[in-house]
Amino acid sequence: MSEEYENKSGYQAQSSETISGSSSGITPDMDYVRPAENAEQDLYHPHSFIEKWVFCQDAKVIGVQYFLTAVFTGVVGLILSWLMRLQLGFPGLAGFITAEHYYQFVTMHGMIMVVYFLTALFLGGFGNYLIPLMVGARDMVFPYVNMLSFWMFFVAVAVLMASFFVPGGPTGAGWTLYPPQTILEGTPGHGYGILLMLISLALFVIGFTMGGLNYMITILQARTRGMTLMRMPLTVWGIFTATVLAMLAFPALLVSSIMMTLDKLLGTSFFMPTILKAGEVLEYGGGSPILFQHLFWFFGHPEVYIVALPAFGIVSDLISVHARKNIFGYRMMVWAIVGIGALSFFVWAHHMYVSGMNPWFGFFFASTTLIIAVPTAMKVYNWILTLWRGNIRINTVMLWCLGFIVTFVNGGITGIFLGNVSVDVPLSDTYFVVAHFHMVMGIAPLMVIMGAIYHWFPLVAGKMLNENLGKWHFWTTFLGAYSIYFPMHYLGFIGVPRRYYEMYDSPYMTSGVGLNEFISTAAFIVGAAQLILVFNIIKTMKTGKKAGQNPWKANSLEWFTSTVPPEHGNFGDRLPVVHRWPYDFNVPGAEEDYLPQTAAPSEVAHTEVEKT
Amino acid sequence: MEETKKKEQSGSTHKIGIYLWIWGLLFVLSFFSYLVDWYQFQGMLRWSLILFFMFLKAGLIMAFFMHLYWERYALVNVLLWPMTAIVCFVALMIAEGKYTLFSRLFYFFVGG
Amino acid sequence: MSDPKIEGFELEKGFRGMAKDTGSDQTMFKGVHWGKAMMWIFLLSDTFVFSCFLIAYMKGRASTPAEWPNPSEVFALDAFGVPVPLLLIALMTFVLITSSGTMALAVKYGYERNRKMCGYLILATALGGLTFVGMQAYEWSKLIHEGVRPWENPFGAAQFGSFFFMITGFHGTHVSIGVIFLFIYCYKVFAGHYEEGKRGWFTKMKGDYVEVEILGLYWHFVDLVWVFIFAFFYLW
Ligand code: HEM
Ligand SMILES: [Cu+2]
Repeated sequence: MSEEYENKSGYQAQSSETISGSSSGITPDMDYVRPAENAEQDLYHPHSFIEKWVFCQDAKVIGVQYFLTAVFTGVVGLILSWLMRLQLGFPGLAGFITAEHYYQFVTMHGMIMVVYFLTALFLGGFGNYLIPLMVGARDMVFPYVNMLSFWMFFVAVAVLMASFFVPGGPTGAGWTLYPPQTILEGTPGHGYGILLMLISLALFVIGFTMGGLNYMITILQARTRGMTLMRMPLTVWGIFTATVLAMLAFPALLVSSIMMTLDKLLGTSFFMPTILKAGEVLEYGGGSPILFQHLFWFFGHPEVYIVALPAFGIVSDLISVHARKNIFGYRMMVWAIVGIGALSFFVWAHHMYVSGMNPWFGFFFASTTLIIAVPTAMKVYNWILTLWRGNIRINTVMLWCLGFIVTFVNGGITGIFLGNVSVDVPLSDTYFVVAHFHMVMGIAPLMVIMGAIYHWFPLVAGKMLNENLGKWHFWTTFLGAYSIYFPMHYLGFIGVPRRYYEMYDSPYMTSGVGLNEFISTAAFIVGAAQLILVFNIIKTMKTGKKAGQNPWKANSLEWFTSTVPPEHGNFGDRLPVVHRWPYDFNVPGAEEDYLPQTAAPSEVAHTEVEKT
Repeated sequence: MEETKKKEQSGSTHKIGIYLWIWGLLFVLSFFSYLVDWYQFQGMLRWSLILFFMFLKAGLIMAFFMHLYWERYALVNVLLWPMTAIVCFVALMIAEGKYTLFSRLFYFFVGG
Repeated sequence: MSDPKIEGFELEKGFRGMAKDTGSDQTMFKGVHWGKAMMWIFLLSDTFVFSCFLIAYMKGRASTPAEWPNPSEVFALDAFGVPVPLLLIALMTFVLITSSGTMALAVKYGYERNRKMCGYLILATALGGLTFVGMQAYEWSKLIHEGVRPWENPFGAAQFGSFFFMITGFHGTHVSIGVIFLFIYCYKVFAGHYEEGKRGWFTKMKGDYVEVEILGLYWHFVDLVWVFIFAFFYLW
């Protein structure tokens, strides 16, 4: 059965039948794992500094490159949000912020945060670093393409940032870029700004496609022996499903940016209706603005889950490890991720209830939107049931996870409000929507990112981040973020519209004045509080204590590399063999409170482990 | 390395006849769809014939030239299920297109 | 193309086989080369790109109040003094299907390690692709000559020109990229790179005839898209 791999100098000793400890030769070997299907991956080792750190083909380095570039864009987005809050909380205090600037800040902030920060960070950063490690591969399947993917992203970011410096400045059309105003005079950045934005988005899509193919094929075709799909950590499931969504949703974005570029440059009228401007008919005519909205949200809603699903996956793993308990309902969690992913292609027009689309669509999209809340709620129950009677360690990582659950539930509930047409109509385009999506796709995933940084920093850098500083970081961020977004629900109820530069003497302003000052102050504090993390990292790199192998006593493969931090090729000269899911914590009868995925059944025969 | 079962050198290849058959069929079907225009069929008949020949041709290319017929079901399903999203998109955009035209004409003639 | 002999995973048709493959470890698509799986997924993504283009075209055409030109007349060509509807398009379809056939055979001969046949067939495919691009250039210049522009056209709705140039242009770009790769692969086949497993220029990965099949998938896809464009743009 297994002659071909069996006696190769001790390779795969666990998997041959002859090892079986049973007295008669008849019982099948309980540790048997099928022989390898894939040839050993042929890795190209770097020969120079440039090949090692710049045009590097190692997914881990690429992951860090993605991470740092995304964080850079995130900082730009954060600064823009400060400027906006400065204007909203204390109008006129910073005289240089004109209404045009304000629109540009809103637009760039939104686009950067959603696409260039969160998407790139989760898929490019965590995806690259963790996928090969967690599924037991030596690297991504196409390392060269992976390298190109990062550099394409880098160019996309450069083009985006360049738009700050062109005549007219960046586009101020809102991150949804709705035509016709996007490319018409009167909108800031309707010349070069919007062009650079569209080019940058197209480059991002191309670059992401290269990366996404890698993530998908690595997960589908390059898992190690014994790693079935249903033994993968939920992190991998989340990133995988998000990648699938991205591969199918980004085309709509690409197409709409191409069409809008043509409208802008060649004067086609894909999205441009007949327009009367100051009594004069423009050259455009006959196009359909609502078509753009459909294309945009056919991308846009899945994009929301591209950000959310990796966060779901990662937080599940973090909760399980730090509550020392198996994840409750693993299969349900997987199916919920997949189900949410599939459904997310059928809900897009819930962003368009007030757009003037076919009024019958409201029925369809309200129903699908509410249906998608079911698997989402199941996930929340499962996180809570995982915590239930767990051996919870209230460390920094766990705090971030709890923070995630709270903010996500909060944002999810307001999502149900907005999913119903009749409730959405008065609320849409108010601060209630702003509060909703910041809770659910801003703060909640950010909490997970922070938790993930504290969790995996010991793996990437080999040192433990300081816990005290971590707790300070958490509490200021969490309480601060809540102070920012919770009052916004109220502002929405009293009717304050979003994307407004100033309220002047409107009734909104008078009743919201104190609140706006409060929100802005909280925003400055939260932003500044992130410096605690920077300080923590610097301090840890200098004086932090060594992490050693597997400091959290986790089960998944990334902690079982030959060295910490892992080197090129990840696992030394033999790949690990997987015998179980990654959630065997506190198994009765086991010496330790965890069983690594690599522990063979014969090693744990004396325990009461149920799943292998 | 050695631990691998030696990778299949190649998939089993198929008889040349099958490719020639499909090739021929594609020409014939293209010719038929051309005839739809030649005889100027109109209305439902035209549209259903166009779609019929189109899907047949597409199916033949995918199934035989792209070997999907011989691939395992897992791959086939992964490739075909996402098309439901496209089908839904198409269906809704048909409704939306009609509605946009309706509202344009309505507000043009009746007034806002 | 694969009927791999993998222990415990003999080809099993239907959903049972799928469930078994999906539930197994290591690979989901049993015996499918990484590169080939990648090309399939890429093509799926590209299908969404073209679908979005065509959906946009459908929505645009359905909601424009202006008259949509009759493609049968716009794309007619004079043969011996008589206007024949869609003549050029029919020829282009003919050429593209021909090249798809030669590509299919090239893949077959590649797997049979018949270097000569494989190389010549790829060459034929590349020349077919080149002819197609040439004919498309002719078609474009003819329309431009008649006054059709992306932003206007003398026959009716301006969107006709916009969608025509955009969609055929995007498809033509795909064909052109394919042609470039076909020439490169043609060289590689004749030079025997796939037989010796010579490493790629950039990727440093070992060459194999499976690459011909991967390129073949792309080429058939380009043909497939043309089937849809032919039906929806020229015939509808
Ligand atoms: C319980 C599930 C959810 C429901 C029912 C829901 C529903 C909605 C609805 C109906 C809107 C449109 C509001 C309007 O324009 O008036 C909206 C907006 C938004 N949602 Fe959600 N959502 C859910 C989950 C999420 C998640 C998980 C994210 C992100 C991770 C998210 C991010 C957003 C964003 C960014 C917007 C703003 C769109 C804009 O610019 O108008 N939502 N949501
Ligand atoms: Cu949505």
